[in-house]
Amino acid sequence: MLTPLAMFLLAITGVRTRRSASNLAMFGALASLALTLLIGWGLARKSAPFLVSWPYLNLPVAFSGPINFQSFGIDILLRVDHVTVAALVAVELCVLGALGWHRFMGRVEPGAARFHALVSLFLFACIGVLVSYDLAELLAFWGLAGVATYLLLAHRWSVDGAARSTRIALALPFLTDLFLLCGIAVVYSRYGVVNLTALVPILHTTPGATVKALAIAAVMLFVGVGGRLALWPVHLWVTRTAVDAPAAASAVTQAAWSVVAIVVLYRLMPIAGESNSQTLRALLYACAATAIIAPLLALASSEPRRAIALLGIAATAVAAAVVVRGFDTVGFTFTFAVAGVACALAAALARVAGILAASAIAAAMRTDDLAEMGDAWRRMRGSAIALFISGLVLGMSASGALAYSVPSGSKLGLVLGEAVLLIAVGSARIFLAIAIGPLRRRRAFEPDRVRDISAAALSWPYLLAFAGAVLVVASMVHGWLGFLDGRTHPAPNPIGYVLWIAVALVGFAAAAIAFRANKDGAVRASSQLGRAVDRSVWRAQGWAGRFMVGPAVGIAAGADEWSFVRDDALAVSAVGTGRLAALASRVPVVPAVIILAVLLAITLGLISPGVFR
Amino acid sequence: MIALHVAVAAVLTASPTPVPVSVPGSGIFQSSLLLSLLIWAPVLVAVVIAVLPNPRGRFDTLMKQIAFFTNIGLLFILWIAYNQFESFLGTMQFEENVPWLSRIGAVYHLGIDGPGLVMLILSSVVGLASVLASWGIRERVRTYFCLLLISEACINGAIVAHDMFVLLLFWGAATIPIGLLVLGWGGPRRESAAWRLLGYWGLGTVALLGAILALYAAAGGNSFDMDVALRVPVSPRVQFVAGLAVIVAAATRLPLFPFQGWVRDVYSQAPVGVCIVVAGSATRLGAYVLLRLFIGAEPSGAQLLSPLLALLAAATVIYAGLVVLQMTDLRRVGAYLAMVPGGVTVLGLAALSPLAIGGSVLSLFSGGLAGALMVGVCATLAERAQTGNLQVLKGLAPRMPSLTWITIFAVLGLLGLPLMASFPAEMMTFFGAVKNQPLAAFAVAFGLAIVAASLVVIFHRILFGTPNPDAPGVSDASAGEKWFLGILAGSLLWVGMFPGGPKLPGTDTPIFDPGLVTSMAAGITEMAAPYAAK
Repeated sequence: MLTPLAMFLLAITGVRTRRSASNLAMFGALASLALTLLIGWGLARKSAPFLVSWPYLNLPVAFSGPINFQSFGIDILLRVDHVTVAALVAVELCVLGALGWHRFMGRVEPGAARFHALVSLFLFACIGVLVSYDLAELLAFWGLAGVATYLLLAHRWSVDGAARSTRIALALPFLTDLFLLCGIAVVYSRYGVVNLTALVPILHTTPGATVKALAIAAVMLFVGVGGRLALWPVHLWVTRTAVDAPAAASAVTQAAWSVVAIVVLYRLMPIAGESNSQTLRALLYACAATAIIAPLLALASSEPRRAIALLGIAATAVAAAVVVRGFDTVGFTFTFAVAGVACALAAALARVAGILAASAIAAAMRTDDLAEMGDAWRRMRGSAIALFISGLVLGMSASGALAYSVPSGSKLGLVLGEAVLLIAVGSARIFLAIAIGPLRRRRAFEPDRVRDISAAALSWPYLLAFAGAVLVVASMVHGWLGFLDGRTHPAPNPIGYVLWIAVALVGFAAAAIAFRANKDGAVRASSQLGRAVDRSVWRAQGWAGRFMVGPAVGIAAGADEWSFVRDDALAVSAVGTGRLAALASRVPVVPAVIILAVLLAITLGLISPGVFR
Repeated sequence: MIALHVAVAAVLTASPTPVPVSVPGSGIFQSSLLLSLLIWAPVLVAVVIAVLPNPRGRFDTLMKQIAFFTNIGLLFILWIAYNQFESFLGTMQFEENVPWLSRIGAVYHLGIDGPGLVMLILSSVVGLASVLASWGIRERVRTYFCLLLISEACINGAIVAHDMFVLLLFWGAATIPIGLLVLGWGGPRRESAAWRLLGYWGLGTVALLGAILALYAAAGGNSFDMDVALRVPVSPRVQFVAGLAVIVAAATRLPLFPFQGWVRDVYSQAPVGVCIVVAGSATRLGAYVLLRLFIGAEPSGAQLLSPLLALLAAATVIYAGLVVLQMTDLRRVGAYLAMVPGGVTVLGLAALSPLAIGGSVLSLFSGGLAGALMVGVCATLAERAQTGNLQVLKGLAPRMPSLTWITIFAVLGLLGLPLMASFPAEMMTFFGAVKNQPLAAFAVAFGLAIVAASLVVIFHRILFGTPNPDAPGVSDASAGEKWFLGILAGSLLWVGMFPGGPKLPGTDTPIFDPGLVTSMAAGITEMAAPYAAK
């Protein structure tokens, strides 16, 4: 944890040049990766996690009442288990890949020192979230990662479009982060404990902790985590910034958050698991809805980076559904929830690789429109292959998890199967739209000048895509799941594997057939669909602005103006009193005193007892 | 040499609590004059400044330096007191009790507990920042700094007063120098601003007077001393009436919706240094009085009126978030945003749970700093950009990078994001409030989301995007501005990072700062005792 923090501090205090900032950030990420691997090696043959804790805040608040509420403390409790190590490696690989790619492809970006410092801060915060088992501490690192995310996405300060689109990257996640805060507050208000290790065993044994409270807490925690998983409809902070933010920033924040949030969801799910089946079903519906809607939106998007972001969201939603499903069993003593985490790890790496490869191609072809792209297989084969592998990994990332946890004949199986199919279609569509077909000449653009990026930059998407592929294969091996959660998992039926892989392959094949038959028609159809979706989104936003935000702001402003006008009356009366006082000072003193004395004597005489008797 | 020796001895003995009695010199600052010193030393210096010859403003800089070093001295004394403060004692510390108006039962009784110490530290930090923010004052420097020091003294007096009569005197007296500062050194609408300030704060003073008289009468009419008057059992009806009056007094000062009428003009017209004092410490007195005279003293009234308080807290945060979207002047934006921390503080008080009350006390400190920082940042941005018009200001970030970073700090502090003192404060407040006031807690959280959205819309427009070619020339913050804003931001950051004081790894003893959260615990447990069983 401390290495990226030290790199951040060094970068903001002393580094000015792009190269030294980049070296520093790379060193921080590399050192973190090396240390994580060292910890992983240490943990390889033991199941007990590494545990370190320091007191951060300790405040006695009462000497009576329930003992849990007599003091409040937040400990910096760092707990590293197998899942944490795997997630840390995935996040660090994402950061390393993005930094390595940005080193070559982000030369023209302004504020290099700021960018690299923020990446180090982001890595520090992500590591902090992953190793936190105290919910208050987790919230602190979570918020810090949120701040770093916003600053990274808003890196292009002086570009109008970027400045506009990144507004949502602060407001929307902040709203969902408040849900996380409230959810943790609800948990604390019932149990007086925020340490997950201590909390889980007492979830059902604490008097006063009702199922209703647990359900409210579970929903709030899920909304909080769902905001960072970018589940629909709070996905806009990812999709709106996918094109306008620096590619490396967009890729690393999307991927790292998907890993961090899925691990946090996995850890918080016991709270939801102890609530009731309706709550779990609602969470499952939310994940399933995102898993279907996000790839549909991706199919309607004509911007490759935005489409990849949506496909990544869909893959993560499938993973989240698997995690939630894992706790939907009585007692959940034996679950496959960790398969969802394994799926998300693979998808995250593929997501970064895909975004980086697509960004390189978009930069070379000077367009973000899929309809204007083409012929990358001939002109930018290296990037096109990286895009292909990442699409393949993304499409198949959920196969292992689904084979373990979801029966293919169930309703959930059908819905998630459809999601996998759509993800595969979407992934293949992006690759095919970019790789095949002609690259047409446009104004101020000569297709013959399009060249692939340097091998040094290209190696990073390859590395990430291959690492993602390895994790996809690993997610199908029950030993990997056993390593992650320390339990013994039986291998699923081989037909399950075949079935779920076949669903993805059918998706790839369907897209290939459609694009081979008529690429222009397919792209045109999706762009028309995209325009229709955009129109309806804008219309909905317009209605929300007109019927909700506008009236609320109007009422507040009206109340302000009303009180301001009424205050004037108060001020006028105050001025009047002052004038009266000033006039009084000009009155001759002796006659005034005599008159006042007479008036006082009459008044006293009248109110004295006995006068009217 | 003697002074040096005393200073060295004081520093050497300034170890975190508890201080062994055997340490030589450990009691030198526990004299009976410590708190009086914090009140009367600024007054004395103000008098010295007032009588110092200053032909044609020749010694203007010297006056500023005197005010600055007075504040440094106060901060040093307070630092010693802070280190010697015994955090496990529930009673008042550094007490001074001198008979004064024995006929009516008023005594010159001063003392501080945890919340008082927190407020004193806030007042000292804000005082230092306000002097630095006032460094650019050119007109009638002598009078300005006299009034600034007197206002600081009045605020300190209201904080340490343990007699209701003394509290009322200092509370009311603080209005006068601040009103005069607005009237004498404000912008074009300064008269309107000063009248509004006097009107609202005067109303608050009358309400507080009513509450104090009710409590005084209900307690037998013998003593204004809080140790006597507030310990006599009072009927719930009297508690209700007195509590309502205290709420009005607090709402006009803090301010809470709908008593915020003075905010718009005062923060947009007053000089930056005055704005910082008002937003930082003077307004926090509202919540402090609410804590001391209502929550800590009238549990039955507090139970009855807590829904009203919660409603006011939620309305304040939501209102502030919405109304800034309609503002066209940057300083007014800062004015309304400075109301937000007050709402969070009052939510904690309304929750009537020990943890939430603790959160409120920490929120007094963090909210004061965050509010002052936000008001200071907005005023400095408007000054450096030569206009506060939001239609004109655009794309300032590349041309004022330092101010941009400080603005980001201010936003983080206001929203209670991690590393800032407002983060543990908000966390404690929400954790404590969810059980007793769940709807208000969610409403305040919703309000904070609106505030975040408003902040994003406004500051994105001002700082980011393409610069406006028609806007007047822009320059980054000067060294003085960076210093005063840096002191406020640095204090927020320090307490946010080390709420329990900095500790060496593996040890449990703070190094040189005992920790604000540790120190503030003294007194909270006693105040919150009636609510502990809830």
